[in-house]
Amino acid sequence: MTFELFIFYLFAAVLVFAALRVVTVRNPVHAVLFLVLAFFSSAALWLLLEAEFLALVLVLVYVGAVMVLFLFVVMMLDINVAVLREGFTRYLPVGLLVGLAIVAEMGLVLVRYFVLPPGSAPKPVGPDFSNTRMLGDLLYTHYVYPFEIAAAILLVAIVAAIALTLRRRPGTKHQDPAAQIAVRRRDRVRLVRMDAEKKPE
Amino acid sequence: MLEGYLPVLMFIVVGLLVGSVAIMAGFVLGRRRPDPAKLSPYECGFEAFEDSRTKFDVRYYLVAILFIIFDLEIAFLFPWAVALHRIGVFGLAAMGLFLTILVVGFVYEWKRGALEWE
Repeated sequence: MTFELFIFYLFAAVLVFAALRVVTVRNPVHAVLFLVLAFFSSAALWLLLEAEFLALVLVLVYVGAVMVLFLFVVMMLDINVAVLREGFTRYLPVGLLVGLAIVAEMGLVLVRYFVLPPGSAPKPVGPDFSNTRMLGDLLYTHYVYPFEIAAAILLVAIVAAIALTLRRRPGTKHQDPAAQIAVRRRDRVRLVRMDAEKKPE
Repeated sequence: MLEGYLPVLMFIVVGLLVGSVAIMAGFVLGRRRPDPAKLSPYECGFEAFEDSRTKFDVRYYLVAILFIIFDLEIAFLFPWAVALHRIGVFGLAAMGLFLTILVVGFVYEWKRGALEWE
């Protein structure tokens, strides 16, 4: 157990360090990469908590897809750090408010943990226990309604993303492979029958 | 049950070692003779005249966000596949409805031409 505890503290330390660097580092691209490290270490923590499926989905979805999107956004925004700094004092009250709310929420969770009688923590499960199977048993039967709502939310996300970002650009030159394949000989080649020219004498 | 993940931990450790040793070896063993000319732009003779960070086309963003959405859809498929023989026809129908809703989005995406790269 002590080795597990050591691994836990190691990943927790990496997580706290990476999270701090996300907000203190100057280069926004580096901040995104530190966020990747933070997600990865929290995935390791979830694995230690025996939530394997969530840990792997965190790596698959957040590290694999969301962070790519973040990198695109950071590069697309063409960030000028000096301009960002200007609004610092203006946004400080709002930021403090949000920060306080998050601290209060985390405090509530911790208080609940310390108030609860010891021994009420979930017991470790055996090696043949499958987290993923348990999720599957519940998600598609007991929680089927939220599951279908998730589909509807994803549909809204698809439609919104397309409606917001799709732009037609008429003037661009591009290949149309279907038209290229469908071309016939008579569209391209015209045979002209003409008399042979006389040789000058 | 966490013993099963020991190989993963070893893999992380070996990966970290290989990565950091390669960099550290170059840092320690390499000979260093700093020269301002080594850091200057070379070959083409131009000084940099604009920021290297240019704006991406918003199309890349669209492709990335569509990728995330269908990535999430696949994440929902994994536990379903594992538990399918236990949740039976009801689970099959639930996933059928889920996929139908998302196929509506996919058809919309296709017909609007969001997958075309003109």
